Amino acid sequence: MNKGSSITRRLITAVLLLEGLAAVLLIVAVIVNEHQDEYSAFDANLRASANAFLGAVQEAEDSSPNIGLDLRRIPRTPHAVYRVTDGEGRILGTQGQVPELDIEPDSFRGVRIAGHSYRFFALDGERVVDPGTPSAVVHQVHILYGQPDGRVWHEIWEATRFFMVATAVLLGVTAVLLVWMIRKLLAPIHVLASEADKVNSVHWSFTAPAVAMHLAELRPLASAMERTVNRLQRSFEQQKRFTRDAAHELKTDLAIVKSSLQLLTMKERSVEEYGKGLGIALEDFTRLEETVQQMLTLARLEQPADAVSPMCALHQVLQDNVTQSASFASLNKVTLAASPVATVFVPVDARDAALLCSNLIVNALQHSPDQGTVEIGLRSDGVTATLTVRDHGEGIAEEDRPHLFEPFYRGDPSRSRKSGGTGLGLSICKAICDRAGGSIEIDNHRAGGAVVTVKLPLWNGQLERGTGPS
Amino acid sequence: MRLLIIEDEKRLAENIAQALREAGFAVDHAADGITGSHMAVQDIFDAIILDLMLPGKSGKRVLTELRQTKSRTPVLVLTALEGKETIVDLLNSGADDYLAKPFDLGELLARVKALIRRAKGVSSTIIQVADMEIDTVRQTVKRRGQEIDLSPMEYRILQYLSYRPRAIVSKQELLEHLYDFEWEHHSNVIEAHISNLRRKLNLQGTEPLIETLRHRGYRLSEEASS
Repeated sequence: MNKGSSITRRLITAVLLLEGLAAVLLIVAVIVNEHQDEYSAFDANLRASANAFLGAVQEAEDSSPNIGLDLRRIPRTPHAVYRVTDGEGRILGTQGQVPELDIEPDSFRGVRIAGHSYRFFALDGERVVDPGTPSAVVHQVHILYGQPDGRVWHEIWEATRFFMVATAVLLGVTAVLLVWMIRKLLAPIHVLASEADKVNSVHWSFTAPAVAMHLAELRPLASAMERTVNRLQRSFEQQKRFTRDAAHELKTDLAIVKSSLQLLTMKERSVEEYGKGLGIALEDFTRLEETVQQMLTLARLEQPADAVSPMCALHQVLQDNVTQSASFASLNKVTLAASPVATVFVPVDARDAALLCSNLIVNALQHSPDQGTVEIGLRSDGVTATLTVRDHGEGIAEEDRPHLFEPFYRGDPSRSRKSGGTGLGLSICKAICDRAGGSIEIDNHRAGGAVVTVKLPLWNGQLERGTGPS
Repeated sequence: MRLLIIEDEKRLAENIAQALREAGFAVDHAADGITGSHMAVQDIFDAIILDLMLPGKSGKRVLTELRQTKSRTPVLVLTALEGKETIVDLLNSGADDYLAKPFDLGELLARVKALIRRAKGVSSTIIQVADMEIDTVRQTVKRRGQEIDLSPMEYRILQYLSYRPRAIVSKQELLEHLYDFEWEHHSNVIEAHISNLRRKLNLQGTEPLIETLRHRGYRLSEEASS
């Protein structure tokens, strides 16, 4: 299923490794413990057997002052290896092949004889013949007694074998349980994934499944996904709306041009009628061209900025635009008042700055009543340039406020396309401000009318030198 | 025939209106949904051309409200929106036809004419009344094979009457359906036209086609030649 690494597999491996390590350590501990128990029992046995030999040492039957070994009093141990010697080194009794051992009395030693492991115990004792009589003789007796300890290892193996098998079985059972449990524990991830998989450009709704939201570890991921999908959906919807509105706008303009020309062809007309009709069709066509031009401008502004940082004298551009708009203003019987105008350099392309100024001024003029005034101001606080354009029109409606900068949004529907403008002007202004790292806002003035406030960062050169280039 | 254009785009409405007027229709124009809705429910129009994206009230709402008044006026919807759902939705809301922008003006005219024919219960472009034949495409009138030269308004009156043979059509109805608000007219203009029309239609040896019923109106009789 997965070629890469899998959390399930890693978890199972880690847990099983730990379990295995614990099992091995436990088994070793058990073996060590068992080994000690078995050996102390074995050693006690050795010591008892050696003592029995000491007990079996008695006066020799031949009435010599020597001593002998009465084997009848000792139980037969066929595999035992022993040698009993007296103080003079005479051998009182022996069995098996007794190795030469340099062994401290009253101590144990393991030895290999003919491929078998033996354990020996050395015992030094005294045997008094005729005790309590003047003729009592004290005999030193050395006993070296050994038995094969292979059996002990067998016993240890027997005692721990069950334990090992049980551990192995438990390990296996826990492994199976572990796989099942981890699968079950990780199920919310799969649920989350399959839910996320359902998201596409048509079906945008994504709600993090409850199982994923319950888990502290998954909750951040699930809610992050939810937020991301919502953000994407919003921008996707925005794009879709823009495309739809743009198509509507273009189609309408096209329909006008097409119908204007078709109208001319519907019947024979006089030369004057054709001339007039063509003039009108040309005007319609100019409108279509303007729409396309504005769309292209917006598209260009929404591209990432060039590496070369632009610069322009905003005060100069503003003054030029005020002068250019004067005739349009007087046509609408509106006064343009530009003051105060500070000397301000901003990191905006001169063409874009001109577009910004003219869009704002034309917008204000369009919303001005007859005999109205449009007040324009440009200030600088040393860090930011602030351009304000205020009209004395009807102001903006509260419900339009969030949409004013959306492409093709027309606040007052009754204005619609008659008042000219494609509905892209403010979007273009916002794009210009955003591109320069500035902001644009529209508010209602306390004394009536709308105020557009544009804030633009000052050009770096002006910041450093405090003045513009001469 | 009198048409209503509900379209907020002024230039487009102007072009459509001019084309329709040149084709012999009386045309009224509403620039927003609210005005359009008010005009549409008056039931004096023979067809309505409705834009979808309208200020004030959407074209869809205008249509729905019109159909709620049980109006049977045919509606042709102009739409710049893409998508099957929109079209299905429109037709289900009571639209009779639709055209996507940018459309062909000639096609618009043909569709409007077809809608009016259908609404009047006529399927052919040639209307036969008694021994008279009206070609609604070429706008010509023949009686007993002989072409009769009519003025545009005379033709319109005759065509309107021919859509409702044997019914009494009042002067008021003719005024409402043949003149738009821009047309300057007087109430006796219809009488003058009817009188001219009867004179022109009366060939030697034929019965009069148009009857005048005092204070009630006019009637185009089908049994004239029998």
